[in-house]
Amino acid sequence: MNEDIHVVTNDKEKCDIALEGLYEVDDPEVGLNIVDLGLIYKIEFEEEKKRVFCEMTLTTQFCPMGDSITSNAIQALTNSFQGWEIDLNLTFEPAWDFSRISPGGREFLGR
Amino acid sequence: MIPLSGTSNLQQTTSYKVVLPFYVYASICFLVSSVLLLLNVEIVQQHYFHPHTLAIVHTMALGWGTMMIFGASYQLLPVLIEGKLDSNLLAYISFGFTAIGIPILILGFYLFHTGWMLQLGAIFVNIGVVFYLVNVLSSIYESSKHDIHAWFIGTATIWLFSTTFFGLLLVFNFSKSLFPDNSVAYLSLHAHLGIIGWFLLLIMGVGSRLIPMFLISKYTNTKILWWIFFLINSSLVSFILLFLLNAKSSFYYISLALALLGIGLFAYYIRMAHLVRIRKNVDEQMKISIISVGQMLLPLLILLIILLVLPANKHVQIAMLYGFCIFFGWITAIILGMTFKTLPFIVWNKVYHKKAYSGKTPVPKELFNENVFHNMFLAYLSGFILFISGIIILNTILLRIGAILLLLSAVLYVYNVAIILLHKPKKI
Repeated sequence: MNEDIHVVTNDKEKCDIALEGLYEVDDPEVGLNIVDLGLIYKIEFEEEKKRVFCEMTLTTQFCPMGDSITSNAIQALTNSFQGWEIDLNLTFEPAWDFSRISPGGREFLGR
Repeated sequence: MIPLSGTSNLQQTTSYKVVLPFYVYASICFLVSSVLLLLNVEIVQQHYFHPHTLAIVHTMALGWGTMMIFGASYQLLPVLIEGKLDSNLLAYISFGFTAIGIPILILGFYLFHTGWMLQLGAIFVNIGVVFYLVNVLSSIYESSKHDIHAWFIGTATIWLFSTTFFGLLLVFNFSKSLFPDNSVAYLSLHAHLGIIGWFLLLIMGVGSRLIPMFLISKYTNTKILWWIFFLINSSLVSFILLFLLNAKSSFYYISLALALLGIGLFAYYIRMAHLVRIRKNVDEQMKISIISVGQMLLPLLILLIILLVLPANKHVQIAMLYGFCIFFGWITAIILGMTFKTLPFIVWNKVYHKKAYSGKTPVPKELFNENVFHNMFLAYLSGFILFISGIIILNTILLRIGAILLLLSAVLYVYNVAIILLHKPKKI
């Protein structure tokens, strides 16, 4: 996992696979992927139940693209973990803030 | 089965079917206004109570500004009031009545048919506004939070109804004496109810949430927003009281000062949001929206000049400049900018909602032609500057060139809106 990306996980190797897929999901307004944007809080795995639990947020709770972003995140995880159950939890606690954007993301945004 | 346990946290957006007719209608009205302006540039030298001026002003205020705000606010209501739109059906009905009423009203003004034509148009517009009012207020009532943005939109909508209902009474006053004076004596009250109460309050309420959101700026200062809300409403209420009490013109400085303070604070709020933005590169849509904040001050400065410097016999002529700066100035500028921030998203959501992951899909800003937008922006700004210069020095050539450039900006605007609306999904 990229050291600049802070995601809580119980399986680093699988988390890297999950993030690889999630890197392909962009926030359409910002034009930046949701991993560099820091929207992914937690990715955990339950081997016995073949279940992926992903906790993520949005830049704002009232993001008009929220539905599209979460649907695409589920699709990305489903593609990465075929046959696994995907449980995506959208949370706004803690609220997203700029400190979560990766250095690469900041560079992309011109900061 | 794929559980998505947190979806209840996500606000539902309004269907594009509700919103798009308003955008189409408003775009056509902008084009019609620009054509009417070009055909009638000589009216700037006459009294503002001229049938063609009234027709152009109402095309801009109702057809362009209000219809666009109706559509955008139906779409953005979940963002603004932190709840969902109460009824799609009421939204469709509001569209139906206003869409029929506006052209009848405009034709009534243009032909100065003060009888059934103006009355019918005004009645239809008012019915449409009542449906909008009920929908917005019931949506706010149903939402979980009633923060400052909900107060802005709710109060602005009540002022809108006050404006259109008073306008209806003024229309009937042409044929039946409802008021002690002729309708022309009440025009400034009717106009300011709409300009300050509806447009200014609503644009500030929406802008204070959307501009920081699009700049990716976390700047919020609810205290300042409450002050702005208080100052703008106080400005309008004091204006109404002074008008009804037939006060001397010097007393109107109170209303003017309150409005200037409110707009100054709003400009400060946007400046702060801009300073702490995370997105360094501001796109042209946002630039034109930010310019519109500066344009808000222009009409008030003109008003200050009218009150301070000019003798009373020059007030009528400068009133044209004041009105132009409002309708073709900040209201138009913010709509030109925000259309291309909101409409591409609405259409993108419709076309690519669940396809974004499955390959390279265009991003929303690729749904319109950026070059056309850039040229529209240049044509608009140069047309606006030339036209106000033409009003100041009463030069017909400048007025015509300004009007041609504004018409060109309207054509380019409609072209880009059409490109977005007709966008077909690319093969993935």
